[in-house]
Amino acid sequence: MKRYVLPSVAVAAALISGLLAVAQDTPTKRSGQVEQRPPSTYQKMAAEGPGGPAPVHDMTGFWNGPLEPKFGETPSLTAFGESKFKKNIPDPFSAHSNDPWRVCDPFGFPRSATNETRGLAFAPMPEGIVIMTQYQKIWRMVWMDGRELPKNVGTRGGSSSRWYGYSIGHWDGDNTLVVETTGVDDSTWIDRRGYPHSVDMHVTERYTRVDRNDLELSVTIDDPKMYTKPFLEVTNKFKFTPKQLEDEQLCVPSQAIDYLNTIAIPAGQDEVGQK
Amino acid sequence: MRLRTVVSSLALISLLSTVPLFAHHGNAAYETDKAVELKSATVTKFVWGNPHTFLMFDVKDEKGNVVHWAGEAGSPSSLSLLGWTKDSVQPGDVITVYIYQSKTGRPVGRLNHIVLPDGTELKDSALGYREK
Repeated sequence: MKRYVLPSVAVAAALISGLLAVAQDTPTKRSGQVEQRPPSTYQKMAAEGPGGPAPVHDMTGFWNGPLEPKFGETPSLTAFGESKFKKNIPDPFSAHSNDPWRVCDPFGFPRSATNETRGLAFAPMPEGIVIMTQYQKIWRMVWMDGRELPKNVGTRGGSSSRWYGYSIGHWDGDNTLVVETTGVDDSTWIDRRGYPHSVDMHVTERYTRVDRNDLELSVTIDDPKMYTKPFLEVTNKFKFTPKQLEDEQLCVPSQAIDYLNTIAIPAGQDEVGQK
Repeated sequence: MRLRTVVSSLALISLLSTVPLFAHHGNAAYETDKAVELKSATVTKFVWGNPHTFLMFDVKDEKGNVVHWAGEAGSPSSLSLLGWTKDSVQPGDVITVYIYQSKTGRPVGRLNHIVLPDGTELKDSALGYREK
């Protein structure tokens, strides 16, 4: 009997992970019903071929992504990290959460790369590259001129922390851009699950342009104050946007508050435990 | 033995499949078994925004009293794939609304779809694919 348990669990786990993967980008389909939701631009692009080789040291342009990326390892919290994590109550649709998203506070970094990832863009700048995020029209300057990251951010005499921190980058080979970031304001969360970070968090993004149409991202986090070891936070895949048509996605504070008062509270969303 | 293994696997899958899947936003607050049909609904406000778009409209109940309703739908990014625009619905429009009402019984819910004065149907991005 016991020898069947592991295969059974493995089969179940494989099926469930498949379900989860499908659920991320497609609506649930009930038996006997016709699915009418059209595919997103990103889903349509999935069938596109590579479009030729990747140009060298160039990611310029708009890229389409999925609504959410794929989470990596479960972060291993320190006791201090655990105490912070427990205080964070995620849910942008709840009047009683303390999710910064609830009132459209800045995502900060790396949440801007781990939440609402439908659009991304790169543009060359003097001394660096600017990385832009469609949701909330965020831009981050990545210095490529060899300067170092600031030290002692958030201490007396040091640089001030910032919503999106300080970023430097370099090319690893012809097609991988590596970006290092620190000095992020610690009131932000690393993702929609509510995981915390300190000002000293060090985030590494690796963008690899596999070919003309495909870009892959991994985000790893090292923050000894909050986590017992560095971990892979998310991976994501982007497609070069056809005709470079981007979307406008803004979380507007007055509208979000209006939504909470008009919909979420009267509908009793908190009462049914939407967390 | 094998049959028992298959049965236990299916039972486990069945159990776990009842766990809500990670989604943008759940709809547990709403009676999603059947949409309420509200005819002659007069639109008072349409908010095309994040995190969700919502519509406010007035409907007379059986006693002739005006009830102020509110219904949410998906984000502009999702709805625009279904033909909605920021100007699809305007205050003063008299429309028909199919809505999954809140379990609280209050006049608020999640849209299934709406029918505009010219007969155009606009579906919600999350629940609009459902039969009414």
